[in-house]
Amino acid sequence: MPRKWQAAWLLLGAGLIVVGVGAAGLAMTRQPVTPQYGATPTLPAPTGPVVAASQRQPAQVSLPVALTIPSIGVQTSLTRLGLTASGTLQVPPSTAVAGWYTGSPRPGAVGSAVIAGHVDSHVGPGVFFRLSSLRPGDLAYVRRADGTLAVFRVTVVREFAKDTFPTAAVYGPTPDAELRLITCGGTFDPQLRSYLSNTVVYATETS
Amino acid sequence: MKIRRFIRWAALLMAVPVLLLCIPKAASASTASAGTGWVRLAHLSPNTPAVDVYLYSFGDSSAELVLHHVGYGVVSPYEALAAGQYTVGMRAAGAADTTKPVLSASLTVAPGGAYTVAGLGPESGLRLQVLKDQLTTPPGQVLVRVIQASLQQHAVTVTWNGQPTVTNLAFGSVSSYQAVSPATATLHAAGASESANSKITLAAGTVHTIVVLDGAKGLVLDNLVDAAGSDDPPAGAAATGFGGTAPRVPSPMPWLYLIAAGLLLATAGGLVVRLMPRPKGRHAA
Repeated sequence: MPRKWQAAWLLLGAGLIVVGVGAAGLAMTRQPVTPQYGATPTLPAPTGPVVAASQRQPAQVSLPVALTIPSIGVQTSLTRLGLTASGTLQVPPSTAVAGWYTGSPRPGAVGSAVIAGHVDSHVGPGVFFRLSSLRPGDLAYVRRADGTLAVFRVTVVREFAKDTFPTAAVYGPTPDAELRLITCGGTFDPQLRSYLSNTVVYATETS
Repeated sequence: MKIRRFIRWAALLMAVPVLLLCIPKAASASTASAGTGWVRLAHLSPNTPAVDVYLYSFGDSSAELVLHHVGYGVVSPYEALAAGQYTVGMRAAGAADTTKPVLSASLTVAPGGAYTVAGLGPESGLRLQVLKDQLTTPPGQVLVRVIQASLQQHAVTVTWNGQPTVTNLAFGSVSSYQAVSPATATLHAAGASESANSKITLAAGTVHTIVVLDGAKGLVLDNLVDAAGSDDPPAGAAATGFGGTAPRVPSPMPWLYLIAAGLLLATAGGLVVRLMPRPKGRHAA
């Protein structure tokens, strides 16, 4: 009899301890956890004939086929992006490749060429995961179908809230050959299943 | 004394967050694109020999940009410059940069503004003119402007796609921008005794300057792209992420299960303690 009595007390005590541990665990997991990924890989600069084409007519500039950003380890082919039925920018079908918006000037022609890529997939980093760590002076290389390279130097990295996205400041006209690299940034809203900002990298063709 | 020291410390402590607030503001104000304009230089005087063109930031005697041996018809690419005051000086090709410029002009580069500084007119009346260049077009349209730099033809009429765009433009003058419809079509320029044709593409949202030049065999048309953008810009932002790398709050479910299990145990124990008859030993004690 006393043994059973003791066991009941033990059960009560153990139960309370487990409740305490559970509550402590619950309190600790209320902190958001940022997944960590390895150090930024770097790549050698691509080699090939560099042709600054800003004075040539747009039609003479060959179509873009690949993008390399050595300082953040980006090396990707370029798909073609159009517009969705609702008029927004199409995004690449794969999170591992970037795409050039066909409604924008060709990279190296006068105007602001637009290349977009995913920051991440559902499970891990996308092609433009490290885009926001680019700094003014970093170089981006666009290889064109004729084998020539257009070289761009980063001037500014900006983050814009999506609900006040400055279309003119990103897609607007420029008198020189420029490049805009677009991906997502800022806070991820799990309800909307969307990031609340866009990271935009501005770059100008080196001459 | 003590109170004063306390106030000093309090003020210092309060200054820290204020300073921290100021830092990002200062950084964003100095971003390059906000205060950048563009300038290009052109030699469009037919009988003037090649020149060296210098661009000085106002009050700075060392040139920001030098173009050597710029001949007739040459137009430089746009150079991005910090907004501010500049002076353009023109010297005969090869002249020392310490000599007085043959011609000079000053210009104010506004943020986001584009300018063409062109040597225009005959050599005897050469002048440096600052042209304000347009970047944006009316929706779906093209802007076209003509610079008449042919000395052989005193006045030129330019026709685009069968529509006269600029009529009887005199040598050395610049038309205003005209809005035209985009097309791939023939650009035609005609003076009193010479004419020229050029098949060009004018895409929506682009701005062009057509320069009418004297070539070796009559008129030559140079089609400069002043600006280009996305003629049909996407609406709003880009959906370029699925959240796989976003900071996330881990699921609370395992811990909730643990708490539930603990509660169950404790309740069971408690009930047993409550309902079971008390052992005799305890009573005795």
